[in-house]
Amino acid sequence: MVVVVVRRRPTEGPAMQDHRLRLRALLAGDGNRASPALARICALAVSELAVTGVGVTLLDQPGALDARQQLARATDAVAAQLEDLQFTLGEGPGRESVITGAPVLVPDLAVAGTRWPAFTSGARTAGVAAVFSFPLQLGTIGLGSLDCYRMSAGSLSHQQVSNGLVLAELAFEAVLAAVTDHAPDDLGWISDIHVEVHQASGIVMHQQGINMREALMRIRAFAYAHELPLAVVAGRIVDRRLTLDADE
Amino acid sequence: MNDQHEQRLARVLVELADTLVDDFDLLEFLSTLVQRCVELLDVTAAGVVLADQKGGLRMAAASSEQARLVEVLAVQADDGPCLDCVHTGEPVLSADLAAEAARWPRFVPVALEAGFHAASAVPMRLRHNVIGSLNLLHTGPDVVDEARVSLGQALADVATIGILQQRAVGNSTLLIEQLQTALNSRVVIEQAKGVLSSHGGVDMDRAFSALRSHARSHNLRLSELARTVAEGTADLNAILPVTPHGRPVVEPDRRRQ
Repeated sequence: MVVVVVRRRPTEGPAMQDHRLRLRALLAGDGNRASPALARICALAVSELAVTGVGVTLLDQPGALDARQQLARATDAVAAQLEDLQFTLGEGPGRESVITGAPVLVPDLAVAGTRWPAFTSGARTAGVAAVFSFPLQLGTIGLGSLDCYRMSAGSLSHQQVSNGLVLAELAFEAVLAAVTDHAPDDLGWISDIHVEVHQASGIVMHQQGINMREALMRIRAFAYAHELPLAVVAGRIVDRRLTLDADE
Repeated sequence: MNDQHEQRLARVLVELADTLVDDFDLLEFLSTLVQRCVELLDVTAAGVVLADQKGGLRMAAASSEQARLVEVLAVQADDGPCLDCVHTGEPVLSADLAAEAARWPRFVPVALEAGFHAASAVPMRLRHNVIGSLNLLHTGPDVVDEARVSLGQALADVATIGILQQRAVGNSTLLIEQLQTALNSRVVIEQAKGVLSSHGGVDMDRAFSALRSHARSHNLRLSELARTVAEGTADLNAILPVTPHGRPVVEPDRRRQ
């Protein structure tokens, strides 16, 4: 007998939950509901991370290194220029963060010369002194990156790094929500994510011959359509009590 | 500790030091470390959880990938010895988990359900930061003694050194990148386990064993192999051979408990 234990927040401590709730409340409290979620996330990143500007670039073929990139949102012309530089040169912190699956934090571009020589030169010419990139990523599912810059050098605080990671996670949710056209109150599934969600994604990918992002979206769509928590659906798939139909 | 025990410890330390070469795989290293912990400390299971930079704890390695042990480690993001250990920076011990239900309301029921009656956690300390903890779990009540805890601490320190070694972690910026990379790799491994379990009709523990032994015998990094599996570019039959009927070649299917 398999007992699926559903906990409200299976993988995180109270501090993290409070933190995320606060950022989510700030997002929800933005009076302009018409402004797209990514724009609000970028604006929040500017204030919470105390950076000059923020850009989000999305990959339309997640996972592939030669994926085409598309600027989704930039708070100002310099942020847009930095995204354009990375696109043109094929190098830079945002691109690297998608490859490593981890944030790339460069508090002083003046001493980062060998990492991405052409990008660094272009960015410094534009007056940029520091860049901090956070991937929109879940395992092999890389959707793009949230790239922040400052005109003066200096590290992010621990709290600011933490804010950047949570905002990148919210951006990941927002991108998937936009693609599947689910209601905005669906936001939050990812913070309840369970290790079985990743395993179930792998199972569905193999069963249906699709990629990992599509597999996750099918599980998510099934959970949404049946009004079940994502972890419950994932647990049933892992236990082989549920097989998703190819057209689900 | 007797002489035989000391010799085993010495061999383990040499083995672990030997793996700390350039460009080694952190998750593979932690996985070896927790398996040696089980053997050396005579505990039932061991795991490493790492603090993620969002303020949570995430499992990075377990001595077995059986779903119940994974759950016992994962639930400690809410409460349990690991969470207390990371917060205080001190070892946390309990020889009788049944008596700790008020202290750890989420952890205790999951641990007891999985058959564990004693638990301890020792911190992975890096200067003034605690970056995670090593968790020892036992089905009997007698595992928590000073000698085991101090030996556990020595092994936790080796795990910390492993994390420092992987890149020249001279500052906290690189450490954050390093830890988040490891945690994302752990998600990739879970995705790959799902693919292999579907391919071979096996449980998650078997899927992980197949992944790990293939990586070892072909001198591949565990994380890189897992990535190719999760991206759909690996030859799954080379990793986990199945018969034309879709059954694993080696052993019959062991269903998840």
